[in-house]
Amino acid sequence: MLKELVEFMARALVDNPEKVRVSEIEGEQTSVIELRVAKEDLGKVIGKQGRTARAMRTLLSAASTKIRKRAVLEIIE
Amino acid sequence: MSTLEFEEKSIEEAIEAACRQLKLPREKLEIEIISKGSSGIFGIVGARRAKIRVTTKVPPAGLAAEKSKEVLDEILKHIDLPMVVEAEAREGYSYLNIISNGSGLLIGKRGKTLNALQFLVSKIVSRQTGESVSLLVDTENYRAKREESLSALAHQLGEKVKKTHRSLTTGPMSAQDRRVVHLALKDDHDLRTKSKGEGSLRRVIIYPVRKPKEAAKAEEKAE
Repeated sequence: MLKELVEFMARALVDNPEKVRVSEIEGEQTSVIELRVAKEDLGKVIGKQGRTARAMRTLLSAASTKIRKRAVLEIIE
Repeated sequence: MSTLEFEEKSIEEAIEAACRQLKLPREKLEIEIISKGSSGIFGIVGARRAKIRVTTKVPPAGLAAEKSKEVLDEILKHIDLPMVVEAEAREGYSYLNIISNGSGLLIGKRGKTLNALQFLVSKIVSRQTGESVSLLVDTENYRAKREESLSALAHQLGEKVKKTHRSLTTGPMSAQDRRVVHLALKDDHDLRTKSKGEGSLRRVIIYPVRKPKEAAKAEEKAE
């Protein structure tokens, strides 16, 4: 579910939605969500001074709080 | 602003079609006639259709509100809470109200989650429509309550500044919050407000208008 959330947000923000790859590494308490996008879209998911990335992380933690987990969003170059 | 072309039998019909599709009255459209159209001889030979180019003077507000609701719904679907979104087109912006069970999860500390939602939805919708949309995402009347407590805070700080004749600074605030503080003290002629700092660390400074010495002098003169 957390994975789909990140996937939807990222796809809606980039120019190449088909190149968005999201994987989830599930830990006991903490999940790591890895987001990969096309090189030219990297700036779009990060945003000015990391604002977009920060907003996505905020929503991810709200969603994970609800299911009593923790999640970390990693944007991978 | 978007531009579209319409082709109908007559110019009148083309304009009507444009108004219908864009859900806007005729005054809100800029209409350029490309071809007047003619019925030809006996309506058979050389009939040409009328063609117009229409540019909207305002972004179709209803459309932006609808689009924003769709995007917001989609994001919220992934957060496991029962909720419904109400969208409303208001003057100059779209108002999106999330009706939920009131857990405060969607608000976050100082509205952090709500602001994140608002930022992302407006970014996504602006991308999709190619126009910058402004919208306000709200839940449980949070925005109005926040505005109320911020302006109460501003007045409290203002009183203190007047009493001590020393300037005071608020904590770091978002642009929206700073705006509320400035507006709350706008009509107070004994105070002046100014924003200072960079990025997310910007704060509002409240100054007394008269320096203590000048104030004392003025009082002396008055006596």
